[in-house]
Amino acid sequence: MKKNVLLVRMGEIFLKGDNRNFFIKALVRNLRKSLEGTPCTLELTQGRIFLRDIEDMDEVVRRVTRVFGVHSVSPVVECDKDMDVIAREAVALMQGCTGTFKCVARRADKRFPLDSMQINEEIGYRVLCARPDLKVDVHKPRHDLSIEIRERAYLYVEKIPAVGGMPVGTGGKAMLLLSGGIDSPVAGYMIAKRGVQLHCVHYHSFPFTSEQAKQKVIDLARLLSAYAGPIRLHIVPFTEIQQELYQKCPDSQLTVLMRRYMMRIAERVARRARCQALITGESIGQVASQTMDGLTCTNAVCTLPVFRPLIGFDKTEIMDYAERIGTYETSILPYEDCCTIFTPRHPQTKPRVEQLEESEKLLDGETLIQRALQGIEVLDIRP
Amino acid sequence: MIYLDNSATTRPFSSVVAAMTETLTDDFYNPSALYAPAMRAGAILTKARRALLDSAGCSGRAVFTSGGTEADNLAILGTLRALRGRKGHFITTQVEHPAVLETMAEVERLGHRVTYIGVDGEGVVDVEALLEAVTSDTALVSVMQVNNEVGAHMPIGEIGRRLKEKNPRALFHVDGVQGYLRAPLHMERDHVDLYTLSGHKIHGPKGVGALLLGKNARPLCTVFGGGQEENLRSGTENVPGIAGLLAAVETFRALENPAARAEALRGRLLAAVRQGVPDAALNGPETGTHILNLTFPVKGEVLLHALEGEGVLCATGSACASHKKSKSHVLTAMGRTPQQIDGALRFSLSPLNTEEEMDEAASAIARCVAALRAFRRR
Repeated sequence: MKKNVLLVRMGEIFLKGDNRNFFIKALVRNLRKSLEGTPCTLELTQGRIFLRDIEDMDEVVRRVTRVFGVHSVSPVVECDKDMDVIAREAVALMQGCTGTFKCVARRADKRFPLDSMQINEEIGYRVLCARPDLKVDVHKPRHDLSIEIRERAYLYVEKIPAVGGMPVGTGGKAMLLLSGGIDSPVAGYMIAKRGVQLHCVHYHSFPFTSEQAKQKVIDLARLLSAYAGPIRLHIVPFTEIQQELYQKCPDSQLTVLMRRYMMRIAERVARRARCQALITGESIGQVASQTMDGLTCTNAVCTLPVFRPLIGFDKTEIMDYAERIGTYETSILPYEDCCTIFTPRHPQTKPRVEQLEESEKLLDGETLIQRALQGIEVLDIRP
Repeated sequence: MIYLDNSATTRPFSSVVAAMTETLTDDFYNPSALYAPAMRAGAILTKARRALLDSAGCSGRAVFTSGGTEADNLAILGTLRALRGRKGHFITTQVEHPAVLETMAEVERLGHRVTYIGVDGEGVVDVEALLEAVTSDTALVSVMQVNNEVGAHMPIGEIGRRLKEKNPRALFHVDGVQGYLRAPLHMERDHVDLYTLSGHKIHGPKGVGALLLGKNARPLCTVFGGGQEENLRSGTENVPGIAGLLAAVETFRALENPAARAEALRGRLLAAVRQGVPDAALNGPETGTHILNLTFPVKGEVLLHALEGEGVLCATGSACASHKKSKSHVLTAMGRTPQQIDGALRFSLSPLNTEEEMDEAASAIARCVAALRAFRRR
C-alpha cells in the first residue's frame, strides 16, 4: 500500500453559488504555484482536487496545507473497484488505528453494485474480522474510514487540517504597512487568508534603522509569502520626514504625525499599485498612538478603507498567532531600537486632528512625500 | 571602503590565501597518516609550532585550537581539571573577553572561587589589588594583554614577576588575542605560563588559534578523542588553517614596525577627530595602542550606520557583544555612565591602514556627527 495521492478539500468555496468556478480556478492556480519544484500532477474532478504521482508526500502536505482556500487534506490509497481489494486496503489502512471507527462510503459511480450502506456494512465487517480489537461506533468514532467509489476506489482515514480561508486573488488587493514588529505580519496574514493579494510598504530610516532591520522586513515578507503568494514590497526612505517632524513639530505629537505621513504615503503607493485598501496591525490602546483618538487622527488622512484585523486582540493573543504562523521568531530580532530617538517620552494619547493639522503647516508635506515616493525601492518577494 | 574594525577580524594577507590554497590543493593529507605525502602536512605543523613559540619567547609547547575562545577555555578549564578535584582560587579582571569571563562563571558554578579585579579610568587593571588577591590557593591568574574594546595594555611583565614572587605555584595565563605581535611579550621573561593567540586578528584565517604552554603549565584536555596535540586537543589538525596562521605570523613579523605604525595611525585619527568633534571623549589610553574608543554626543549605533553609509566600517563595543542588548561591561568597569556608553564607537586599526584613510574617516565622522547631533531623544 502506497499513499501517493492526496485529496484536497476546499472549505468555504462550496458555499459559493454561480461563481464557484472563479474561486476553484484561483485555488487551482495557487496550488500549482505553491507546488512548483516538487513533482506531482493535479486533477480536478467533480469539485474535488486530487494530487497524484507525489514523490515527497510530507513536502506536498506541508505546502498544500498553507494555501488559503484549502480546508483539509487526506493522503489517499487508490485501488481497483473490487470489494476484496478494497477490504484488503482498508485493513492495511487501519493499521496503527486503535479504539472505535466507522465506515463512511460514498458511491459517486452509481453503476457499482453495492450502495453506500452495503459498502459500509461489508467493509466494516471485514475490518472487524481482521482487527477484533477495534469497535464500531457510528455516532462518535475515533476514526472515519472513508471509501469513495468513483472511476476507481479511494480510501483514507487521516484528515490533516489546513489553513482554510479563500484563494488569494479572489478578494482583491491591499497594501499592508509592514513594520518589522510582531503585529503587522499577523494582520497581513489574516487579510490574505480572506483571499486578498498583498502588497507591503515599509518605512526605512537609515541610519536611524540599520540594513539588518530592512533585511528583517524582507525576511518577514518572505515568510508571509509562503501563505499569501508573491508579495511586492515597497521600501520607502523615511529619514527626511522623521528629521523634519523632529525639528519642527511638538514632541508629544511626533508619533501620531509620523503615522499620518506613513498612511498618506501608503495610500499613494496603494493607489499606484491598484490596491483597494490599507492593512495595519493596530489594536486599540496597545500604544499611545493606537488610542481611539490616535486612530481617528491617522484614519483622517486616508480615503481608502483601512483594515485593522487585530483591533480587538490582546498582545498575547497576537504573539500566539505570530508563533503559529511562524513569524514570531523573526519579529523579535532586536534591530529597531535606534528609532527610539524619534519616540517622545510622553506622547499624546488624545490628539486632535485640528492640532495636528496646525503642526503639519510647519513643514512642506507635499514635497517631502514626493521625495519619499521618488526614492522607493521595490522588491518582489517569493517564498 | 575604509575598514576600521580590525579587532573584530582582519582581511587575510595574500600570502595567507596562497598558503591555504596550496595546502588545500596539494597537502590535504591527514598528518597522522603513515605514508610519505602525509609527512609534508606534518612538517607544516612543526614549522608553525616553531614560529609561534619563537614569536612569543616560549620554549615550551604550542597546542593548535579552533581559535582564541577555545584556547582560553583550555587554559582555564584545563588548569581547573589539573587540580584533580581540589578547590582552587582563580583571579581575572572585570574587562576580559567573554571567552574568559563566561568560562570563569562556569568555574564558579563548579564550586571554585573567582576574584574579578577592577580597572582604572583608562581600562588598565589595578595591579596592587590583583596582587593583594593572590593567596596560597591561587591556581591561575588570567589577564588579557590588550583590551579588545578600549585598547588598554595591561602590565603583563610586572604582574608576572610579582605574582611569582608571591606565589610561585600560581599559573599565569595571558589572553593575547588582541595583543599578539602588537604588544611586546616574552613568555619566559614575563613569567607567562599560558598564552592565547588567534589567527584572524593578525590577517590570518578564522577558525585557527593556539595556546602556548610554558614548562610549568600542565593543563588536562577538555576535548577528548584521537589524542592529537599531545592529547591536549583531539581532532584532525586544521592543516590549511595552520598553514595560513604560519603565513600570517611570518608576513606580520616582516612588516616594518607594525605596532608603531598602527599606533601612529591611531594618533592621527584621534587628533583629527578631536579637531572635527571637540566634544568627543576618549575611552582608554591616550597613546600606545591600536584601538581607539570614543564617546560621541550622538547615539553610537546611529553614527555607526551613518558612517557605514559613508563607507567607513567600525563597531560599537566589540563584535562579540553587539548581538546582546546589555551595555559594555568594559566601559561600565571603567566608570562610564550609560549615556556615555550609548555614544561609544570603536575604531581598531591595522598596520595596513593608511594615513589618507585616517583623514577621510575623521572628516566623515565630523560630517556625520554634525548631521546627527540635532537628533537625540528629547
